[in-house]
Amino acid sequence: MSTQHATAVLGGRRILIGKPGLDGHDIGAKIIALTLRNAGAEVIYTGLRRSPQQIAQVAVDEGVDAVGLSILSGSHKELVADVIAQLRTLKAHDLKVFVGGTIPVEDRAHLHELGVSAVFTADMPLEQVVKTLAELLA
Amino acid sequence: MSAQPRAPLDRWALSRALTQLANADPATLARRPLREPPEHAARRIGITGAPGAGKSTLVGHLAALRASRGRLGVLAVDPSSPKSGGAILGDRVRMDELAGNEQLYIRSLGSRRTGDGLADNLPEMLDLMDEFGFDEVLLETVGVGQAEHAVRGQVDTVVLVLLPDSGDTVQAMKAGIMEMADIFVVHKSDLPGAPRMAADIRRIATMARHASGGWVPPILLSSATQPASIQALSEAIDQHLAWQAQQPQEQAAQRARYRLRRLIERRIAQFVAEREDSFFDAPLERQIAVALDACRSPENRAVV
Repeated sequence: MSTQHATAVLGGRRILIGKPGLDGHDIGAKIIALTLRNAGAEVIYTGLRRSPQQIAQVAVDEGVDAVGLSILSGSHKELVADVIAQLRTLKAHDLKVFVGGTIPVEDRAHLHELGVSAVFTADMPLEQVVKTLAELLA
Repeated sequence: MSAQPRAPLDRWALSRALTQLANADPATLARRPLREPPEHAARRIGITGAPGAGKSTLVGHLAALRASRGRLGVLAVDPSSPKSGGAILGDRVRMDELAGNEQLYIRSLGSRRTGDGLADNLPEMLDLMDEFGFDEVLLETVGVGQAEHAVRGQVDTVVLVLLPDSGDTVQAMKAGIMEMADIFVVHKSDLPGAPRMAADIRRIATMARHASGGWVPPILLSSATQPASIQALSEAIDQHLAWQAQQPQEQAAQRARYRLRRLIERRIAQFVAEREDSFFDAPLERQIAVALDACRSPENRAVV
């Protein structure tokens, strides 16, 4: 593809970064958005406080390859289940879903069971995030 | 505003087709036949202006207002990073109350290799919106200086969004954009300096001759907190569209020219980008000949 650059491992990928639920902090989401952009991805950012239904619809309309959910409110189990259900309703089950934010270690297995492909924590190096996503979307 | 019944919008199909078009390389697109004039063409409205002028906010409000009258598409272009090729597409953040409207489809586009405020393969994407039965498309450009010229050729109505007190009047005179806009909007009109800015623009606009002759561009004040001002802008757009419909139609030729120009530029740029340094050590005339030959489709090439 013509927009691809040598270092752009996510070149040509479109990724949605969504903030479902009520927490009002999106610096983490923005840092991830910038990191993915620097890796060559086109990142669609939804802004704060979107409903799972809105996020799923935007994912379809924008034709993204993956949906990243940033959740700091503690409601990640419910919100992630909701977003994945909405994606299924819209026949978008082939989209990869990844989650970041304040996710306790003991909840990760449950999120994977729901269909989440990757869970990122604040202590994870950004290069690791890019590498994981590049593998996921290869 | 066609009222005839038609199939509901297949958002998946449209979404995939737009992705495919966005990724198509110039050689592939150049081989596509020119399309016949469509039976159904969407009205096209371009929204342009400096970064932070309020384009996305205005597009969001206009879309909410105008989607009640028919199927409405928004194509919003944001700049791609020249370094990584990636982009943050954040125009949707300002269009949040629009989700869930069946009549409305919003797509964010990275400008990719296009530097004129539009995006790669945008002419083809606009045509695709016609094929999907849209009644109207709002096109939001990147906030760059030259966007007015490029968008002029692609849309029926150009709305130029200005900030109060930004020194934009002189910039506007320099760039020759006064001749490009059909409607001027001084946005964030609750800020000081807005009425004066509007007065300045009015004075200059009456001196600059509008490119299309008879149309006198209105100069409006708008604010996201005043719904009546958005309504007035929407009505001005309708008036211009109605006026435009009475004019001799030169858009098809203009649009085809722009499309071809961009395809040729990108084809050459692609060739240049793919060369090793040593290619540029050889004599100019010869290498230009090689470049032009390489840009031909294989069956038309002199040397392979």
